[in-house]
Amino acid sequence: MSHLTPSGDRPASGWTDPDRSDPARNDAPRRVKVGVGDLAVVSDGATLTTSGLGSCVAVALVDPETGIRGLLHAMLPSADGSVSRSPRPAKYVDSGLETLVDELASAGASPRRLEARLVGGAEMLDLTAAVGPRNVERARERLEVAGIPVVASEVGDAVGRTVRFLPGGDLAVRAADGFERTL
Amino acid sequence: MRVDVRALGACNRLAERGAERAANALGELTGSDLAVEVTGASVATGEDLAEAFSGRESIGVRVGLDGGLEGSAVLAFDADQVDGLLSVLPGGASMGRSAVTEVGNIALGGFLDGWANYLGRAIDMTPPRYFEADGAAVLPDGALAGDGVFLFESRLDATATDLDFSIYMLPDSGPFRDLVVGKTATAATAGAEGAGGSAAGATTAVPYESLSTFASLAKRGSANAADNVGMMTGLETTVDVSRLRFVPLADVPSEVGTEPHAGTVFELQGQPSGYLAILFSEESAAAVAEAMLPTEPDEPLGGTAENALRELGNVMTSGFIDGWANVLGTSISHSPPEFVHDIGSATVSPLVASLSRRQDYGFVIDAAIRMEGEQARCDVYALPDERELAAALERLAET
Repeated sequence: MSHLTPSGDRPASGWTDPDRSDPARNDAPRRVKVGVGDLAVVSDGATLTTSGLGSCVAVALVDPETGIRGLLHAMLPSADGSVSRSPRPAKYVDSGLETLVDELASAGASPRRLEARLVGGAEMLDLTAAVGPRNVERARERLEVAGIPVVASEVGDAVGRTVRFLPGGDLAVRAADGFERTL
Repeated sequence: MRVDVRALGACNRLAERGAERAANALGELTGSDLAVEVTGASVATGEDLAEAFSGRESIGVRVGLDGGLEGSAVLAFDADQVDGLLSVLPGGASMGRSAVTEVGNIALGGFLDGWANYLGRAIDMTPPRYFEADGAAVLPDGALAGDGVFLFESRLDATATDLDFSIYMLPDSGPFRDLVVGKTATAATAGAEGAGGSAAGATTAVPYESLSTFASLAKRGSANAADNVGMMTGLETTVDVSRLRFVPLADVPSEVGTEPHAGTVFELQGQPSGYLAILFSEESAAAVAEAMLPTEPDEPLGGTAENALRELGNVMTSGFIDGWANVLGTSISHSPPEFVHDIGSATVSPLVASLSRRQDYGFVIDAAIRMEGEQARCDVYALPDERELAAALERLAET
């Protein structure tokens, strides 16, 4: 009978699994999927992907000098005023961006060199039309405060999108209508 | 027994993290990246589970649990994936059964590790037992006997290859019961651990029996919706699956998937409020619209088909929520249908985002309705507001 004992290693309180961000554990090239309300940082040749972006916003940050990249897929603009005690900072644009920048810095990126690409924030449904534009607005605000320039974006409209954040910093965006472009 | 929704959220978060550890362990073993797609706890009777798993053949490994957690856990995958699995395992086909057993041992060990840490108590795991099973026999011992059990289920997908695994865990009552009713101190302070599920400071307790009643109600709703589709389209309909599950809301979009879908969404108004989405694959949507129209539409999913699908959605939604108000003693209505045609997960993400302002986890009803064999199929997702549902279930228990 094997015996799993409690160790001093409590389940991590953060949201990103450190194993997934550690390039030493996997051989490149690989693909790292970022779910809804999730974020990930890579410093190897992995491709970061996130799919089914509707009203959510994806923020892709890269330090062009080191090539260290991070991708956030946030659902809501701000944790302020939320009654949910979310364990997931990446659920919100503001707390997600803060965590992403911290994790990029821990991985060796310079916050001063970061550049941002924004995708998503569509007005998918009349029922919930305001969510997407608010997510984009919040992302722009927080990036400006953090001094991170937005070098390209593909936001708004009423279309779902899927993104691939490639080594080198290019962001490939494919819309549900088949339209593809690289930011 | 009263289930503390926040404690259930904490348990779900543990299952999620356990599945992430299992995915990492399997990833290292097989050399491919695995991602946890969905983790949830279903509230189901043995009969529901038998129906949901009928026709599936699985192979896998099961272990018994003792100590901090009692019950059993299973790692399973579809029998037709066995060759694919063996090809990525060390030793591969020559090792066969023992390679699979080793995979199970590693993955389930990873899965349970987090629970042991969280509980602050050791979990003893019996040696892994290999099995080949038909239908619901794959599930942990005891799943089919109960008239309502919590079954934790995580699905793991390999990102590069066509491999997916499921981990099922059925905790026995006893220590687990203390966890979900919020008696266990660690679970009661789960918010600090990062597993909160409802409003700060508020404890939402749901009588288990009411939850079980609601699961039956949802199942009847699915049958009504299917009957209404039958009447509108003239196609023979069957409800394949109807489940009430407790899931992290953020997992719902990935469950819907990234294929293009067409259908309708509704806002539910009343107690509980929430959203309902009826989603077809493009081919199914076109087939159903065509079955409703006197002549073939010019475009498969053009304006005429849209109107047909709106009308169908209206009738399905009425059928689905019909009966809720009576049983719950509340009033529930729905908005006019909004037609959607996009990536499935992108369509539901704003609904999930909207509910996520108030909750991280939620009870989700999902039903799959099949029309005339495999000709068309649709999925219905109902996302009620957690606290309003809990309040309604509370009233239900009092009557």
